[in-house]
Amino acid sequence: MTAAHPPLTESRRGKLACVGMGMTLGSHLTPLARSHIEQADVVFAGLSDGAVEMWLQRMHPDVRSLQPYYAEGKSRMQTYRQWVELMMTEVRAGKRVCGVFYGHPGIFAWSPHKAIEVARAEGFDAHMEPGISAEDCLYADLGIDPGRFGCQHFEASQLLFYERKIDPTGYLVLWQVGLVGDLSLKRFSTGAAYRQVLVDLLSQDYPLDHEVIIYRAATLPIQRPEIRRIALRELPAAELTTEHTVVLPPAAPLKLNLAMRERLAALDRETTMA
Amino acid sequence: MSNTIELLEAIGTDASLRHASRHELAEWLQQLGASDALTAAVSTGDSAALYAELGHMPMQQPQVTHTPGHEDDEVEQGELEPAPMPVPGQTNP
Repeated sequence: MTAAHPPLTESRRGKLACVGMGMTLGSHLTPLARSHIEQADVVFAGLSDGAVEMWLQRMHPDVRSLQPYYAEGKSRMQTYRQWVELMMTEVRAGKRVCGVFYGHPGIFAWSPHKAIEVARAEGFDAHMEPGISAEDCLYADLGIDPGRFGCQHFEASQLLFYERKIDPTGYLVLWQVGLVGDLSLKRFSTGAAYRQVLVDLLSQDYPLDHEVIIYRAATLPIQRPEIRRIALRELPAAELTTEHTVVLPPAAPLKLNLAMRERLAALDRETTMA
Repeated sequence: MSNTIELLEAIGTDASLRHASRHELAEWLQQLGASDALTAAVSTGDSAALYAELGHMPMQQPQVTHTPGHEDDEVEQGELEPAPMPVPGQTNP
């Protein structure tokens, strides 16, 4: 039910909302995110699909794409800092600004978090509105419940750059494997040799014939999700972009923690006796 | 072109259309006079012609970073510094 209501009288002080567009055109945009877009003075678009950007342009007359700020050989962090500054310039000018990002605006997304932090520090209202992310789609399309065995998520390069502990009794989800090992922040893909380093690391916890699922959510509603199953040893040669996510199902059964169970049983006995 | 985006939105918001078979969806699009590129994309599963119709330029996936949570430690000369320890209560180092 939609009730007509008089518009709120708002001050013209600048403010910022960062919202998620969801993954699939037409299917995932929430009513509140759409309202943020429609009520903004200026909309900035950080989207990964040209058709989705065109859809957004139909919702607002002033949509400014953030895509042109990317460039091969230019540090992505420089690009992201520019995005923050672009949004903040309009906020400081007293505009209602909406940053629209694909999926969820706060997942694998530095600039929305940073822009909100900066806006708040300067005394402006700033808000993040969640969206349906690639992770949400992954659980639905692959039939995985992260609560069943647990689920670790790593940005693939971070797994190589830092010493992390992998738990092969739960799911392991690796993001941006197509870009794994890029120290420069200036490339948009690496290659088989870089993925081989990742496989070598993973082989410490998984057999090389362990199943690996390569996944990409649908961005157009006429697409189906892309799901490929290969062996871990085949990962270096697989065709991958930064949009593909790699999932490793558990390789070992959950192990009982007998010491903790005994402690809990003792607590139960104490509670029963009290 | 705008009709194509409208049709894509219609498919994305309708449960029957979103999960219709390729054949059913292509028939529905033909009845509505959809572009050849959109109908072909549905029939074949290849969206290349559709993106060509939309004038699509290759887009980078936004927000691809390799060190979420440690982005301020930008590596400029191939030297990787250890990540700072997270500070309790500080959500965005």
